[in-house]
Amino acid sequence: MSVPFLKLKDINKSFGSTQVLTDISLEVKPGEVLCLLGDNGAGKSTLIKVLSGFHEPTSGSMEVEGEPVRFRSPRDASDRGIATVHQFGGTFPLMSIGRSFFVGAEPVKGWGPFHRFDHKFAGEVAVREMQGLGITRITDGNRLVGGLSGGERQALAIGRAVYFGAKLLILDEPTAALGVKEATHVLRIIMQARQKGLAVILVTHNVTHAMKVGDHFAVLIHGALAADFRKGERTREEITDLMAGGEAMAELEAEIAAYESAHDGHAPDPEELEKMLHQK
Amino acid sequence: MAVKTAPGSPEVSANPPRTTPASANSVATLIRRPESGALIGTLAVFVFFGMFGGEQFLSPGGSASWLNVAAELGIVAIPVGLLMIAGELDLSVGSIIASSSMTLAIVSGYWGAPTAVGILAALMLGLLTGFINGLLATRTKVPSFVVTLATNFGLAGATLGFSRVITGTTSVGVQPESWAKSLFGTLVADQFEVAIFWWIAVIVIVGWLLHISRYGNWILAVGGDTISARATGIPVQKVKIGLFMGSGLGAALIGVIQTILYNGAQVANGQAFVFNSIIAVVVGGVLLTGGYGSVVGVVLGTLTFAIVSQGIYYTGWNSDWAALILGVLLLVAVLMNNTFRKMALSSATPKKKA
Amino acid sequence: MTTKSTARIAWGRRAMTAAAAVTVLAVSACGPGGQSSGTATGGGAPASGNVKIFVIGGKSDDPFWSKVKRGVDDAGKVVSAQGGSVTFLGPQNYDNLGPDAAKLIDSTLSQGATAVVAPDWVPDAQDAALKRVVDKKVPLFIYNAGGLEAADKAGAVNFIGTAEHNAGLAGGTYLGKKGLKNVLCVNTLPGATNTEDRCSGLADGIKANGGSAKQLPLPSSQFGNKTAVAQAIKAAVLNDKTIDGVVTIGTVDSDSAVSAIQQAGSKIKLATFDTDDIALKRVKDGTLLFAIDQQPYMQGYLAVSMANAYVRYGLELPQRPLLTGPALVDSSNVDQALTGAASGVR
Repeated sequence: MSVPFLKLKDINKSFGSTQVLTDISLEVKPGEVLCLLGDNGAGKSTLIKVLSGFHEPTSGSMEVEGEPVRFRSPRDASDRGIATVHQFGGTFPLMSIGRSFFVGAEPVKGWGPFHRFDHKFAGEVAVREMQGLGITRITDGNRLVGGLSGGERQALAIGRAVYFGAKLLILDEPTAALGVKEATHVLRIIMQARQKGLAVILVTHNVTHAMKVGDHFAVLIHGALAADFRKGERTREEITDLMAGGEAMAELEAEIAAYESAHDGHAPDPEELEKMLHQK
Repeated sequence: MAVKTAPGSPEVSANPPRTTPASANSVATLIRRPESGALIGTLAVFVFFGMFGGEQFLSPGGSASWLNVAAELGIVAIPVGLLMIAGELDLSVGSIIASSSMTLAIVSGYWGAPTAVGILAALMLGLLTGFINGLLATRTKVPSFVVTLATNFGLAGATLGFSRVITGTTSVGVQPESWAKSLFGTLVADQFEVAIFWWIAVIVIVGWLLHISRYGNWILAVGGDTISARATGIPVQKVKIGLFMGSGLGAALIGVIQTILYNGAQVANGQAFVFNSIIAVVVGGVLLTGGYGSVVGVVLGTLTFAIVSQGIYYTGWNSDWAALILGVLLLVAVLMNNTFRKMALSSATPKKKA
Repeated sequence: MTTKSTARIAWGRRAMTAAAAVTVLAVSACGPGGQSSGTATGGGAPASGNVKIFVIGGKSDDPFWSKVKRGVDDAGKVVSAQGGSVTFLGPQNYDNLGPDAAKLIDSTLSQGATAVVAPDWVPDAQDAALKRVVDKKVPLFIYNAGGLEAADKAGAVNFIGTAEHNAGLAGGTYLGKKGLKNVLCVNTLPGATNTEDRCSGLADGIKANGGSAKQLPLPSSQFGNKTAVAQAIKAAVLNDKTIDGVVTIGTVDSDSAVSAIQQAGSKIKLATFDTDDIALKRVKDGTLLFAIDQQPYMQGYLAVSMANAYVRYGLELPQRPLLTGPALVDSSNVDQALTGAASGVR
């Protein structure tokens, strides 16, 4: 538990003259869920792309299990056991469950040029892995992925990543498009992966979901790490405030409190409030 | 990329896979196949023209009529279909046919080189054009519709320019050696083009590639979602370039076959194949945006197209109407394929307790 | 005839102002009687060099037009030796022939043409553009399609080409005299005036000799696919056993027809409009009865030569229209034709 699975140090990423990520330093350990929080446009997806090898950082260093690494392609990242699951499962709606499960790593039988894709094996494994994650409705690996619900697709993608030996799961807004019941199921699957000793990075802007499963939280604002804290160190309100406006919002509250005490407990009228905001 | 065994998951052993018996699912399985709509279409037009086309349509001569047309179209349409399953279009096949047939006619007819040299040059030209298409489409991110439209024009111009500079004309005759004549351009039993056997070979090879080998999974994945496919480590660019080369080769093969069959080539050959191949592919149930389709479907789509386009001449009706029937067929087929695709997707979500 | 003359004379008078006296004298000396009233350089084109002749033609990859263009190019050598220029313009495809041709004609004016040579394929679509050329006092020559009637209607100097109906008539008469009774005219460009005229001329020629002909129109979706055309011809032949002759409107289609007849296993006689190397070889070996040549090289060559001579020197020929065909090539004269084909002009 002592060596973090993934360690980022002073990661910067800019596209041309636009600085998207500034000095990001983070760690995630095996058996731990790191929740990456942030508003839209905070740089979450760029950070994920750096972690999964789609982008190379402009500067900074990355270590996997204590070794310095450079990811030049998604392939490099997945070779190191990093698997990314996107919002809609990153799967292929018109492929069968079995085919989709094994994309890029097809099981084959036969020899030489006559090797063939092992449909039966692929279907069975996919169904077994999904059932292992509690998706009992799916019994036929030939069904099309497009017929699965959002939660089932997430399960398929997570099951696939685990099956292929992923050590770090990066989940990009896995619950965003789901109903309450399905989201709960996905969170349960995340807990299951954590129990197996996987490191998980959960990207979300749903604080409730994050607090249910997270061990460690990082908040991104304008591409910089605004806060990095462990479970129980902040309240839900504090986290929400952080995400909405960062410390600025807390300062505003402090000023309002000061105003109230100075004005016999009266709240500032809109005009006064406007003035305060403009001082920011 | 060997398959690793699942890292110990205790739930798995306690929960053996439950697979539904095939018999209970046979209807659902059939619906899920991309070619089910196309099969209905082919049967319908066959019965229709069988009824109105009379004995001649069903005679060997009549069957050869649509089989010959289907074979030539199919040799182009199957690799084009494979490319469309991977989410790309190829509109340059028309000029590839023209340029490869002119290449063969000029090299072996005008310059008098051995037929084998001409054939090889023609096929290489098809591969090269496909390679350029693939490189441009994957590197520049310009949609392949535009890239291949441009190569279709560019190659047509180059073919015309070179053939006029070299030969002074736009139509060149060639007398192929007898082995080439029998391999590419004979009529078996004075009726059936030897192209039919080439078509069967293409069906088998591409069918193997798409449905049996692991590369089929790559092609479906690239067409379904290029970014996800790339994330899983599939060499997307190589797959696409390979497929563009495949469709170039198919078109060049038709250039060779028609040149040898008709003992000559004209620079304006082949443009009919551009849209006819896409029609055959789409009627065959391939999704225009990629990710879904089958070789059997494309074969059925090609047969449907050939039966409709030739069947009308057996009915004795005025052939002015042939294009109208083709247009209606295309629309009906696509609507039917959409319905089947929706059924295939929803067939996986019955709300039953497992 | 009368309307035509008055129109031309009126136009000629207007052009007079720009004419050099010497040229006028030359024209009246050898001009065709009173018909040409001393016309000279149209649109004020100077005789000193910058003669700009624009030629509208078919698609340049069309084998037929390739020969027309050879004639245009050869005649153009004289024009450029004299310091002028000849520009050949063609449409990208035949899908929208009339309007496309009209646009090309208009573009010649904006490029400063001093003479325009154009076919009148689709009179309804092109006549307005042709009239704009004449209105600008730019001499106009109609060639290849339209006939003298179109040339007169547009106010053109002359028509150079063949009458398609006559070409069909010649072929039909030949087949009728051979005793053919039921001939199929394969038309892969249904609706175009010249191909329809070929087929109707053919029908008339056979009818006069006791037979009949009908048309097989093939849709444009078959264009450029020899096998589809071959199978359609085969189907028509299998369906009607009384057919004893097949005529194609162009040489590419005759490749298809030869294959179709072979597949149908019949002894049907074949012939074609137009000529090329392959068709002439087939005439020689007897596969084709004849090929009807409208001598496209001559159309391009004569049209440009006449335009040049007219603009530069005011010269005009008495023959109206100036016919380049039909020339029927059969086994009796095929050897000469083959020599021309080897040079890419037949």
